[in-house]
Amino acid sequence: MPMLLRSLAPTLIAAAVYACLALFVTNSYYQLTLTLVLVWASFGLSWNVLSGYTGLVSFGHAAFFGLGAYTTALGQIYFDITPWLLIPAAAVVGGVAGLLVGFPTFRLRGHYFALAMLAYPLALLYVFEWLGYQELTLPIKRDNPFAYMQFSDPRIYTLVALVMLLGIVAITRAVESSRFGMALLAIKQNEAAAEAAGIDTLAWKLRSIALSGAIAGAVGAFYAVVLLVVTPPSVFGMLVSAQALTVSMFGGVGTVWGPLIGAAVLIPVSEILHAELGARIPGIQGVIFGMAIITVILVAPEGVFWKVRDRWMKRRAGAAALPTADVVTLPEHVIPFVAAPVKSTARPERPQGRVLLSVKGLSKSFGGLKAVQNVGFDIHEGMILGIIGPNGAGKTTLFNLLNGFSLPDTGEVLFDGQNMVGRKPHELCQAGVGRTFQVMRPFLRMSVRDNVRVGAYVRAASEDEARSFANDAVERVGLTAVADKVAAELTTKELRLMELARALAGKPWLLLLDETLAGLGHGEAEEVVAVVQRLAREGVTIAIIEHTMQSMVRLVDRFLVLDHGAVLADGDPASVTRNPRVIEAYLGKKWVNRAQA
Amino acid sequence: MKKILPLTRRTFVSGAAAVGLTTVARAQAPADVKVGLIVPLSGLYARPGAVMKMGAELGIADVNAAGGIKALGGAKLQLVALDCGDTVEKAKNAAQRMVAQESDLVAATGSYLSSFTLAVSEVTERAGLPLLTLSYSDLLTDRGFRHLFQTSATAAAQSELGLPELMKLAEAASGKRPKTVAIAMDNTGTSIATAKALKEKLFPKLGLELVMDEVWTPPLADATPLIQKVRATKPDLFLFMPNAVSDAKLGLEKMNEFGFGQGRVPTISFSITIAEPDMLQSVSPEVVQGIMTVVANWGVKGQEKLLADLKAKYKEPWMTQNVVSTYGDMWLIKEALEKSGKADRAAVSEALRTLDAGPAKYYPGGVLKFDEKGRRVGAGVVIVQWQNGIPVTVYPNDLAVAAPFWPKRS
Repeated sequence: MPMLLRSLAPTLIAAAVYACLALFVTNSYYQLTLTLVLVWASFGLSWNVLSGYTGLVSFGHAAFFGLGAYTTALGQIYFDITPWLLIPAAAVVGGVAGLLVGFPTFRLRGHYFALAMLAYPLALLYVFEWLGYQELTLPIKRDNPFAYMQFSDPRIYTLVALVMLLGIVAITRAVESSRFGMALLAIKQNEAAAEAAGIDTLAWKLRSIALSGAIAGAVGAFYAVVLLVVTPPSVFGMLVSAQALTVSMFGGVGTVWGPLIGAAVLIPVSEILHAELGARIPGIQGVIFGMAIITVILVAPEGVFWKVRDRWMKRRAGAAALPTADVVTLPEHVIPFVAAPVKSTARPERPQGRVLLSVKGLSKSFGGLKAVQNVGFDIHEGMILGIIGPNGAGKTTLFNLLNGFSLPDTGEVLFDGQNMVGRKPHELCQAGVGRTFQVMRPFLRMSVRDNVRVGAYVRAASEDEARSFANDAVERVGLTAVADKVAAELTTKELRLMELARALAGKPWLLLLDETLAGLGHGEAEEVVAVVQRLAREGVTIAIIEHTMQSMVRLVDRFLVLDHGAVLADGDPASVTRNPRVIEAYLGKKWVNRAQA
Repeated sequence: MKKILPLTRRTFVSGAAAVGLTTVARAQAPADVKVGLIVPLSGLYARPGAVMKMGAELGIADVNAAGGIKALGGAKLQLVALDCGDTVEKAKNAAQRMVAQESDLVAATGSYLSSFTLAVSEVTERAGLPLLTLSYSDLLTDRGFRHLFQTSATAAAQSELGLPELMKLAEAASGKRPKTVAIAMDNTGTSIATAKALKEKLFPKLGLELVMDEVWTPPLADATPLIQKVRATKPDLFLFMPNAVSDAKLGLEKMNEFGFGQGRVPTISFSITIAEPDMLQSVSPEVVQGIMTVVANWGVKGQEKLLADLKAKYKEPWMTQNVVSTYGDMWLIKEALEKSGKADRAAVSEALRTLDAGPAKYYPGGVLKFDEKGRRVGAGVVIVQWQNGIPVTVYPNDLAVAAPFWPKRS
């Protein structure tokens, strides 16, 4: 909590300044603008809780906003309930609506999600018109205005809105710094990786849309109190949804400050333009406003906040240039094949433990293509299994079957004696199967430590434990020295190690590594290999997919060679690398001769 | 904003001081009396807003030319126009700006769409500023407001007043009483409110059988199914209620194509959309010939000078409700100022509440008097018919500029 308080300090100071400003403004029109800035900032924050953190852009937040507004209007008109009670009720309505909307819509991703969200407020708009609620007004209360939030002093509206906004900021901050926020950020970067890190993505997304809907509902309810008139277009309209997007994208997506900055700039500017030009050159205000937004988006595509922050960070970092990507990619065909591999002396023969993972008769077809055919093998505790094969051999498909990312047509995957077929990736992760991805998805703005922490939540019971797991994992891969750097500053090798640490943080029994050595220079690959060997010595069982045979022969205890989806060979490195069929399939005929020479 | 605040104030103070100085210097000349016009001047509804502004400007010019406010020593009226935009929020903001920064307004008029008028009146009511409105919604004057005055007949009243007259007209012209009626309307608030009153009360009362009831969501994409249904049901009256010029055009052109145009199926609307000058930009006069509409106000007999002024100054071909009602509002405010004798909003509001200034000259029917709800006593309707490319008033008889025609069915 003290950390939360500290993170709220700048907001509290800004709020105090704003409150002072509001108290000195006696002009009711300026006061209304001050109130509306807070309303739209709050609405932007609600959008941010879903779209800013998960990256699932919602074009339909007006649905929750409008339901909140109608809750207040109908509640006061038909049941004479005060908005003081109706605003919390609207939050409940918004939250439930969030769940109802989220459940079917989260099946969609990307643009499809955004477009599907667009449909909800439009549909609700017509539903409320059909119900005959074209125009509602909150009845005027001349006797007891305060009990019905009808303040004669407009400053009170601003103060109420300010309290509401602070509450929302506190909620957002709490979300941001907890596993909730981490889960959402992980989903934003790579939903598959998040699942693999043990995050139940659907559950977190539903929590996020419910919270977001609840906030939007409460804000919509307050908006109805301020405006006193509720019509379907004014609360469900396209412009309402757009307002949430505009203030957040202008100010900065995925941060509390974004919507605050966006609303504080855009609402007054649009109002001033309207007031000063509306009656003189009607329509020009829209043109100027639109051009201003386009300019800002061009200059600062991620929003004002990130632009300013990045510039400030850069200046603080001084002349120290960001390390540029020093990746030396060796074309695969020039990697020399070691015909007579020497079993690494650093890795003594170890007794084969019990079977940790047993795969039996696994098959998967995509249409006519048999990507994996009747594959079976065992992984014993403590061993390193290398899965190799030429491009298109079915390695990644096999991996996805093991991970739960796709469902096999036939076969079993027994992990620790239990059949895992049909389990979701996050469930497998909870069971103790960790994985890394061929394409790295680091959370670029987060520190190495925080990146790794995302993977720790699957095991950690508390924030503190997650932190300690993360620190431990960072140390095990040897990244302690750069642990506080942001991921954007790391080299490719360090990023690979960070991915490894993230998978390790969840304390897996079995670690599945997908082309961990890809894109690394020769020396770098050696370093990563050393880390993997150390992990194996420490007792982690590892399966690794790889192209680079050279590093692999010294790393693994056993090879599984795939070709055309089927097992071509299975055995220790020495015998597999001498197997003529393997050499032919993997490298072509001429190597067969050379290997046997 | 923080920068604008003192600036505007300073300007305002110096402006006020300047006015004060000139007043002193001229000694006798009384200060101008400010009247607000809060209408959409930008966005979707800018066109009707602009037309209302024409009406207000003509009204102010004529009041001033006739000697201004005599009770205030011949003080002149001065118009303050505010843009209420195209959303409820903008309307509310504009209203708040009006009451906060134009603190010396004595009255105002606005705001075209009833949703906007609802929001604006919530603000003016609390500020005690009298607001005149031509909006139809019954809700406006059902809220127990003291400073809102509705000059038009309400939506519910309009259909009750209009439809029986149409029936009489049909009977007189064709010799038989209409028995069946068809409705095709969009799902906007006005249409739905009108249709509700028609279906629940008027059709049973007038013995009309509803043979078709179709609703569309604007914009109308294709009118063929609607008009096919009209052909199948053969109604004696066809109530066609669009609120967008494009929808009106589609429907009427399709009717012409099917051979029911030019009044062969008597077609009636309940809004001014179908009689707006814009209609002629998209359809030919033949297509609209004979179409009728029931509206709360229109250019009528005896307003020839006003029409001439409008044509000369703004090149408008005819006078719609928006011009006449807003023009009349200026005279109504003058009337209230004469009665109150002071340029003070509370006094003007009180004067409007107690006003009884005889027959209304610029609103159809009734008198210049408001009931306890703020509705004009005896507010009537006007029936307008397209005749040779101009929508002319054909009812009530004392205001009609032409006789209605009711084509015989072939």
